[in-house]
Amino acid sequence: MFGTAKQKAQNEQLDHVGQLLVRAGADNEAAFETAAASPFLYTRLRARIAAAESAQPTGADEGWLALLAVARRAVPAMTAVAALVFTLMLWLASGNAPTTATGFGDEAYYGGDAGVEQAVLADAQNLSRDEVLAIVVAREAQGRR
Amino acid sequence: MHPSDEPTDDALVSATCAGDEAAFAQLFERHRRRVARTAARFFSRPEQIEEIVQESFTKAYFALPNFAGAHAASFAAWLAQITVNACYDELRRAQRRPEQQLDDLSAAETHALTAQLRAADARPDVEATLIARDLAGKLLARLSAEDRLVLTLLDAEGLSVAEIAKLMGWSTPKVKVRAHRARAHLRRVLRKYI
Repeated sequence: MFGTAKQKAQNEQLDHVGQLLVRAGADNEAAFETAAASPFLYTRLRARIAAAESAQPTGADEGWLALLAVARRAVPAMTAVAALVFTLMLWLASGNAPTTATGFGDEAYYGGDAGVEQAVLADAQNLSRDEVLAIVVAREAQGRR
Repeated sequence: MHPSDEPTDDALVSATCAGDEAAFAQLFERHRRRVARTAARFFSRPEQIEEIVQESFTKAYFALPNFAGAHAASFAAWLAQITVNACYDELRRAQRRPEQQLDDLSAAETHALTAQLRAADARPDVEATLIARDLAGKLLARLSAEDRLVLTLLDAEGLSVAEIAKLMGWSTPKVKVRAHRARAHLRRVLRKYI
Protein backbone atom coordinates (compact mmCIF):
# COMPACT_ATOMS: atom_id res chain seq x y z
CA MET A 1 0.00 0.00 0.00
CA PHE A 2 2.87 2.32 0.93
CA GLY A 3 4.61 1.38 -2.30
CA THR A 4 1.50 2.22 -4.34
CA ALA A 5 1.12 5.63 -2.66
CA LYS A 6 4.78 6.36 -3.26
CA GLN A 7 4.46 5.30 -6.87
CA LYS A 8 1.41 7.52 -7.28
CA ALA A 9 3.21 10.50 -5.81
CA GLN A 10 6.18 9.87 -8.08
CA ASN A 11 3.89 9.66 -11.13
CA GLU A 12 2.25 12.95 -10.20
CA GLN A 13 5.64 14.56 -9.85
CA LEU A 14 6.73 13.21 -13.23
CA ASP A 15 3.46 14.36 -14.82
CA HIS A 16 4.06 17.83 -13.42
CA VAL A 17 7.56 17.97 -14.89
CA GLY A 18 6.16 16.57 -18.13
CA GLN A 19 3.61 19.38 -18.31
CA LEU A 20 6.33 21.96 -17.76
CA LEU A 21 8.40 20.36 -20.50
CA VAL A 22 5.49 20.42 -22.94
CA ARG A 23 4.85 24.08 -22.16
CA ALA A 24 8.54 24.91 -22.49
CA GLY A 25 8.67 23.06 -25.83
CA ALA A 26 5.63 24.99 -27.07
CA ASP A 27 6.93 28.38 -25.98
CA ASN A 28 8.51 29.55 -29.23
CA GLU A 29 7.49 33.19 -29.13
CA ALA A 30 10.58 34.53 -30.89
CA ALA A 31 10.32 32.01 -33.72
CA PHE A 32 6.60 32.77 -34.03
CA GLU A 33 7.21 36.51 -34.34
CA THR A 34 9.93 35.97 -36.94
CA ALA A 35 7.75 33.64 -39.00
CA ALA A 36 4.60 35.73 -38.72
CA ALA A 37 6.41 38.89 -39.79
CA SER A 38 8.30 37.19 -42.58
CA PRO A 39 8.19 39.29 -45.77
CA PHE A 40 6.99 37.82 -49.05
CA LEU A 41 5.13 35.05 -47.22
CA TYR A 42 2.03 35.70 -49.29
CA THR A 43 4.05 35.88 -52.52
CA ARG A 44 5.60 32.52 -51.75
CA LEU A 45 2.18 31.13 -50.90
CA ARG A 46 0.79 32.29 -54.26
CA ALA A 47 3.76 30.70 -56.04
CA ARG A 48 3.14 27.47 -54.18
CA ILE A 49 -0.55 27.48 -55.07
CA ALA A 50 0.30 28.17 -58.72
CA ALA A 51 2.78 25.29 -58.74
CA ALA A 52 0.20 22.97 -57.17
CA GLU A 53 -2.40 24.06 -59.74
CA SER A 54 -0.07 23.40 -62.67
CA ALA A 55 0.85 20.01 -61.22
CA GLN A 56 -2.77 18.94 -61.10
CA PRO A 57 -3.65 16.58 -63.99
CA THR A 58 -5.82 17.86 -66.84
CA GLY A 59 -9.00 16.09 -67.98
CA ALA A 60 -7.29 14.08 -70.74
CA ASP A 61 -4.48 13.06 -68.42
CA GLU A 62 -6.99 11.95 -65.81
CA GLY A 63 -8.46 9.40 -68.26
CA TRP A 64 -5.08 7.87 -68.94
CA LEU A 65 -4.14 7.94 -65.30
CA ALA A 66 -7.37 6.18 -64.37
CA LEU A 67 -6.69 3.54 -67.01
CA LEU A 68 -3.16 3.06 -65.72
CA ALA A 69 -4.44 2.77 -62.18
CA VAL A 70 -6.90 0.06 -63.24
CA ALA A 71 -4.17 -1.74 -65.19
CA ARG A 72 -1.86 -1.56 -62.23
CA ARG A 73 -4.44 -3.33 -60.12
CA ALA A 74 -5.52 -5.78 -62.85
CA VAL A 75 -2.09 -6.98 -64.01
CA PRO A 76 -1.15 -8.87 -60.81
CA ALA A 77 -4.58 -10.50 -60.66
CA MET A 78 -4.41 -11.57 -64.32
CA THR A 79 -0.88 -12.91 -63.84
CA ALA A 80 -2.01 -14.95 -60.86
CA VAL A 81 -4.93 -16.43 -62.81
CA ALA A 82 -2.68 -17.27 -65.79
CA ALA A 83 -0.14 -18.94 -63.51
CA LEU A 84 -2.89 -20.95 -61.85
CA VAL A 85 -4.29 -22.12 -65.19
CA PHE A 86 -0.82 -23.02 -66.46
CA THR A 87 -0.04 -25.02 -63.29
CA LEU A 88 -3.36 -26.84 -63.59
CA MET A 89 -2.65 -27.73 -67.21
CA LEU A 90 0.82 -29.06 -66.34
CA TRP A 91 -0.59 -31.07 -63.49
CA LEU A 92 -3.30 -32.65 -65.67
CA ALA A 93 -0.84 -33.37 -68.47
CA SER A 94 1.63 -35.05 -66.11
CA GLY A 95 -0.91 -37.83 -65.37
CA ASN A 96 -0.99 -37.23 -61.66
CA ALA A 97 -4.64 -36.24 -61.76
CA PRO A 98 -6.99 -38.78 -60.19
CA THR A 99 -8.74 -40.99 -62.75
CA THR A 100 -12.48 -41.27 -62.76
CA ALA A 101 -14.60 -44.33 -63.53
CA THR A 102 -16.20 -42.69 -66.51
CA GLY A 103 -12.93 -41.41 -67.92
CA PHE A 104 -10.58 -44.41 -67.89
CA GLY A 105 -12.59 -47.39 -66.61
CA ASP A 106 -14.02 -50.37 -68.48
CA GLU A 107 -16.76 -48.16 -69.82
CA ALA A 108 -14.26 -46.66 -72.25
CA TYR A 109 -14.57 -49.84 -74.28
CA TYR A 110 -18.32 -49.58 -74.68
CA GLY A 111 -18.61 -46.29 -76.54
CA GLY A 112 -20.51 -43.15 -75.55
CA ASP A 113 -23.64 -44.69 -73.99
CA ALA A 114 -22.10 -47.95 -72.93
CA GLY A 115 -23.35 -47.57 -69.40
CA VAL A 116 -26.99 -47.58 -70.46
CA GLU A 117 -26.48 -50.48 -72.84
CA GLN A 118 -24.66 -52.50 -70.20
CA ALA A 119 -27.37 -51.87 -67.66
CA VAL A 120 -30.10 -52.96 -70.08
CA LEU A 121 -28.23 -56.08 -71.03
CA ALA A 122 -27.32 -56.91 -67.47
CA ASP A 123 -30.96 -56.62 -66.38
CA ALA A 124 -32.20 -58.76 -69.24
CA GLN A 125 -29.72 -61.60 -69.32
CA ASN A 126 -27.28 -61.14 -66.51
CA LEU A 127 -24.34 -61.28 -68.94
CA SER A 128 -20.68 -60.88 -68.08
CA ARG A 129 -18.69 -57.94 -69.40
CA ASP A 130 -16.92 -60.14 -71.95
CA GLU A 131 -20.27 -61.32 -73.28
CA VAL A 132 -21.53 -57.80 -73.54
CA LEU A 133 -18.35 -56.80 -75.39
CA ALA A 134 -18.77 -59.70 -77.78
CA ILE A 135 -22.39 -58.69 -78.49
CA VAL A 136 -21.39 -55.08 -79.12
CA VAL A 137 -18.58 -56.09 -81.47
CA ALA A 138 -20.95 -58.43 -83.30
CA ARG A 139 -23.54 -55.68 -83.68
CA GLU A 140 -20.98 -53.27 -84.98
CA ALA A 141 -19.83 -55.85 -87.48
CA GLN A 142 -23.45 -56.34 -88.55
CA GLY A 143 -23.94 -52.65 -88.87
CA ARG A 144 -20.90 -52.34 -91.08
CA ARG A 145 -22.25 -54.97 -93.37
CA MET B 1 -12.34 51.47 -42.28
CA HIS B 2 -14.75 50.69 -39.50
CA PRO B 3 -14.55 47.05 -38.38
CA SER B 4 -18.21 46.52 -39.19
CA ASP B 5 -17.52 47.61 -42.78
CA GLU B 6 -14.97 44.86 -43.25
CA PRO B 7 -16.24 41.86 -45.14
CA THR B 8 -16.85 38.73 -43.10
CA ASP B 9 -14.76 35.60 -43.57
CA ASP B 10 -17.67 33.92 -45.31
CA ALA B 11 -17.97 36.80 -47.77
CA LEU B 12 -14.24 36.64 -48.48
CA VAL B 13 -14.45 32.87 -48.99
CA SER B 14 -17.28 33.33 -51.49
CA ALA B 15 -15.33 36.05 -53.30
CA THR B 16 -12.21 33.85 -53.43
CA CYS B 17 -14.24 30.99 -54.86
CA ALA B 18 -15.52 33.41 -57.50
CA GLY B 19 -11.92 34.15 -58.51
CA ASP B 20 -11.17 37.25 -56.43
CA GLU B 21 -7.50 36.92 -55.48
CA ALA B 22 -7.56 40.03 -53.31
CA ALA B 23 -10.17 38.39 -51.12
CA PHE B 24 -7.86 35.44 -50.49
CA ALA B 25 -5.02 37.85 -49.70
CA GLN B 26 -7.28 39.50 -47.16
CA LEU B 27 -8.14 36.14 -45.58
CA PHE B 28 -4.45 35.35 -45.40
CA GLU B 29 -3.57 38.63 -43.71
CA ARG B 30 -6.40 38.21 -41.27
CA HIS B 31 -5.45 34.68 -40.15
CA ARG B 32 -1.72 34.30 -40.76
CA ARG B 33 -0.70 35.15 -37.17
CA ARG B 34 -3.20 32.72 -35.69
CA VAL B 35 -1.94 29.93 -37.95
CA ALA B 36 1.69 30.79 -37.17
CA ARG B 37 0.98 30.76 -33.44
CA THR B 38 -0.53 27.26 -33.65
CA ALA B 39 2.46 26.06 -35.68
CA ALA B 40 4.84 27.57 -33.10
CA ARG B 41 3.34 25.28 -30.46
CA PHE B 42 4.89 22.34 -32.29
CA PHE B 43 7.95 23.73 -34.05
CA SER B 44 10.75 25.93 -32.79
CA ARG B 45 12.41 27.10 -36.01
CA PRO B 46 10.91 30.03 -37.99
CA GLU B 47 11.32 28.21 -41.32
CA GLN B 48 9.34 25.25 -39.98
CA ILE B 49 6.57 27.60 -38.86
CA GLU B 50 6.54 29.37 -42.24
CA GLU B 51 6.31 26.00 -43.96
CA ILE B 52 3.25 25.10 -41.88
CA VAL B 53 1.64 28.49 -42.63
CA GLN B 54 2.13 27.96 -46.37
CA GLU B 55 0.99 24.35 -46.27
CA SER B 56 -2.14 25.21 -44.28
CA PHE B 57 -3.18 28.08 -46.53
CA THR B 58 -2.48 26.04 -49.67
CA LYS B 59 -4.69 23.22 -48.39
CA ALA B 60 -7.34 25.71 -47.36
CA TYR B 61 -7.25 27.40 -50.78
CA PHE B 62 -7.97 24.16 -52.62
CA ALA B 63 -10.61 23.10 -50.10
CA LEU B 64 -12.43 26.45 -50.04
CA PRO B 65 -15.30 25.26 -52.28
CA ASN B 66 -15.98 22.47 -49.73
CA PHE B 67 -15.98 24.97 -46.86
CA ALA B 68 -18.33 27.35 -48.65
CA GLY B 69 -20.83 24.58 -49.27
CA ALA B 70 -20.84 22.33 -46.27
CA HIS B 71 -19.24 23.72 -43.10
CA ALA B 72 -21.22 25.12 -40.24
CA ALA B 73 -18.01 25.95 -38.36
CA SER B 74 -16.40 29.36 -38.62
CA PHE B 75 -13.61 29.84 -41.10
CA ALA B 76 -11.14 30.31 -38.22
CA ALA B 77 -12.14 26.98 -36.64
CA TRP B 78 -11.96 25.24 -40.00
CA LEU B 79 -8.52 26.73 -40.69
CA ALA B 80 -7.34 25.70 -37.21
CA GLN B 81 -8.34 22.13 -38.02
CA ILE B 82 -6.31 22.25 -41.25
CA THR B 83 -3.33 23.79 -39.41
CA VAL B 84 -3.26 21.20 -36.62
CA ASN B 85 -3.49 18.42 -39.18
CA ALA B 86 -0.62 19.98 -41.14
CA CYS B 87 1.44 20.09 -37.93
CA TYR B 88 0.57 16.46 -37.19
CA ASP B 89 1.65 15.39 -40.69
CA GLU B 90 4.91 17.32 -40.36
CA LEU B 91 5.63 15.77 -36.94
CA ARG B 92 5.15 12.33 -38.43
CA ARG B 93 7.36 13.14 -41.41
CA ALA B 94 10.04 14.55 -39.10
CA GLN B 95 10.14 11.34 -37.09
CA ARG B 96 10.93 9.34 -40.22
CA ARG B 97 13.90 11.53 -41.16
CA PRO B 98 17.32 10.11 -40.24
CA GLU B 99 18.56 13.44 -38.87
CA GLN B 100 15.81 13.18 -36.32
CA GLN B 101 17.64 10.29 -34.63
CA LEU B 102 18.22 11.59 -31.17
CA ASP B 103 21.31 12.34 -29.21
CA ASP B 104 21.34 11.41 -25.58
CA LEU B 105 21.08 14.15 -23.03
CA SER B 106 24.31 15.70 -21.89
CA ALA B 107 25.34 15.42 -18.25
CA ALA B 108 24.38 19.06 -17.70
CA GLU B 109 20.94 18.51 -19.19
CA THR B 110 20.34 15.40 -17.09
CA HIS B 111 21.44 17.32 -14.02
CA ALA B 112 19.06 20.20 -14.90
CA LEU B 113 16.21 17.73 -15.31
CA THR B 114 16.91 16.04 -11.98
CA ALA B 115 17.11 19.41 -10.23
CA GLN B 116 13.87 20.35 -11.88
CA LEU B 117 12.12 17.28 -10.55
CA ARG B 118 13.45 17.78 -7.02
CA ALA B 119 12.34 21.38 -7.06
CA ALA B 120 8.93 20.63 -8.54
CA ASP B 121 7.00 21.05 -5.32
CA ALA B 122 9.10 23.74 -3.74
CA ARG B 123 9.54 26.36 -6.44
CA PRO B 124 6.82 26.20 -9.06
CA ASP B 125 7.50 29.78 -10.29
CA VAL B 126 11.03 29.24 -11.44
CA GLU B 127 10.55 25.79 -12.89
CA ALA B 128 9.72 26.91 -16.35
CA THR B 129 12.79 29.09 -16.56
CA LEU B 130 15.03 26.25 -15.40
CA ILE B 131 14.07 24.00 -18.27
CA ALA B 132 16.02 24.86 -21.34
CA ARG B 133 14.01 24.82 -24.55
CA ASP B 134 16.32 22.46 -26.37
CA LEU B 135 16.13 20.05 -23.44
CA ALA B 136 12.34 20.07 -23.77
CA GLY B 137 12.69 19.60 -27.51
CA LYS B 138 15.02 16.65 -27.09
CA LEU B 139 12.72 14.90 -24.64
CA LEU B 140 9.51 15.63 -26.53
CA ALA B 141 11.08 14.35 -29.73
CA ARG B 142 11.11 10.92 -28.07
CA LEU B 143 7.31 10.87 -28.09
CA SER B 144 5.26 9.72 -31.05
CA ALA B 145 3.65 12.41 -33.20
CA GLU B 146 0.23 11.51 -31.81
CA ASP B 147 1.41 11.67 -28.18
CA ARG B 148 3.11 15.01 -28.71
CA LEU B 149 0.11 16.44 -30.50
CA VAL B 150 -2.33 15.49 -27.74
CA LEU B 151 -0.08 16.66 -24.91
CA THR B 152 0.66 19.97 -26.63
CA LEU B 153 -3.01 20.64 -27.29
CA LEU B 154 -3.91 19.74 -23.70
CA ASP B 155 -1.06 21.35 -21.75
CA ALA B 156 0.19 24.16 -23.98
CA GLU B 157 -2.92 25.18 -25.93
CA GLY B 158 -5.16 24.48 -22.95
CA LEU B 159 -7.84 22.77 -25.01
CA SER B 160 -10.37 20.43 -23.44
CA VAL B 161 -10.72 16.78 -24.45
CA ALA B 162 -13.95 17.61 -26.30
CA GLU B 163 -12.26 20.46 -28.18
CA ILE B 164 -9.37 18.23 -29.22
CA ALA B 165 -11.81 15.54 -30.34
CA LYS B 166 -13.63 18.08 -32.49
CA LEU B 167 -10.41 19.54 -33.85
CA MET B 168 -8.92 16.21 -34.83
CA GLY B 169 -12.12 14.45 -35.80
CA TRP B 170 -11.47 11.77 -33.16
CA SER B 171 -13.88 10.38 -30.60
CA THR B 172 -13.68 11.69 -27.02
CA PRO B 173 -12.64 8.28 -25.61
CA LYS B 174 -9.86 8.12 -28.18
CA VAL B 175 -8.49 11.46 -27.01
CA LYS B 176 -8.67 10.34 -23.37
CA VAL B 177 -6.91 7.06 -24.05
CA ARG B 178 -4.29 8.78 -26.18
CA ALA B 179 -3.66 11.40 -23.49
CA HIS B 180 -3.34 8.70 -20.82
CA ARG B 181 -0.85 6.74 -22.93
CA ALA B 182 1.06 9.89 -23.85
CA ARG B 183 1.50 10.83 -20.19
CA ALA B 184 2.63 7.29 -19.35
CA HIS B 185 5.11 7.42 -22.23
CA LEU B 186 6.49 10.78 -21.14
CA ARG B 187 6.86 9.44 -17.59
CA ARG B 188 8.89 6.51 -18.92
CA VAL B 189 11.09 8.93 -20.90
CA LEU B 190 11.66 11.09 -17.83
CA ARG B 191 12.40 8.10 -15.58
CA LYS B 192 15.27 7.15 -17.86
CA TYR B 193 17.09 10.35 -16.97
CA ILE B 194 16.19 10.71 -13.33
